[in-house]
Amino acid sequence: MASIAASSISMQPRHALATTRASGLKLASFVNQERNNLSFRLRPVPARLRISCAAKPETVDKVCEIARKQLALSSDEPVTGASKFSDLGADSLDTVEIVMGIEEEFGVTIKEDNAQNITTVQDAADLIEKLCRAKGA
Amino acid sequence: MAASGVAAPTRTEVLQLYRSLLRVARQFCDYNIREYSKRRTIDAFRDNKNLTDPSQLSAAFSDGKAQLEVAKRQALVYSLYAPKDQKELLPPQLVSVPSLGFCPS
Repeated sequence: MASIAASSISMQPRHALATTRASGLKLASFVNQERNNLSFRLRPVPARLRISCAAKPETVDKVCEIARKQLALSSDEPVTGASKFSDLGADSLDTVEIVMGIEEEFGVTIKEDNAQNITTVQDAADLIEKLCRAKGA
Repeated sequence: MAASGVAAPTRTEVLQLYRSLLRVARQFCDYNIREYSKRRTIDAFRDNKNLTDPSQLSAAFSDGKAQLEVAKRQALVYSLYAPKDQKELLPPQLVSVPSLGFCPS
């Protein structure tokens, strides 16, 4: 999505330059610079972080994958954002292990009281997003 | 006699101990020790999952806490003297000797 946005932004400056008005050019060059900066910033950030903090569905999918591996679920059992870990057959020990797996996968550290409140996959994904944003900012 | 005054650990305390043990296990530099600590913690907590007697619970809990202290101390000591290259832990001739019939690492 970032690349599409960047390419659409890069199309516009050519139009602006084609008008060949002095003031228009200056304005366009400023606008170009800002937009070019934006486009350069948008692309490297996800690559540098190595984990997709921006995309929520990917986070949820990764959490589902970790839960599946921990609980040894077959692939036809549905694991969605709303599924509770207890519904999937996890006891409290399993939940702790899943949270540890999440910590290792995403490189975050989840505090004790936050970890106690994780009951569904979506809870875990939201917490990860929050921690990633706090770390990346 | 002595155990009558000791209260059984709450569920939260047990889970906190579990989490702390797993966290400490992650800090070991050596793969074998790390995996062993993790595996031993998981196995021990699962074995004792169905305990109900308070004195047994407190005994297991204090055992776990003692192990946590040992593990924390050892993680620190190992990290002070960690070899720069983990491969140095095994002498070179043991790494690939097919005739032994097992993989030493």
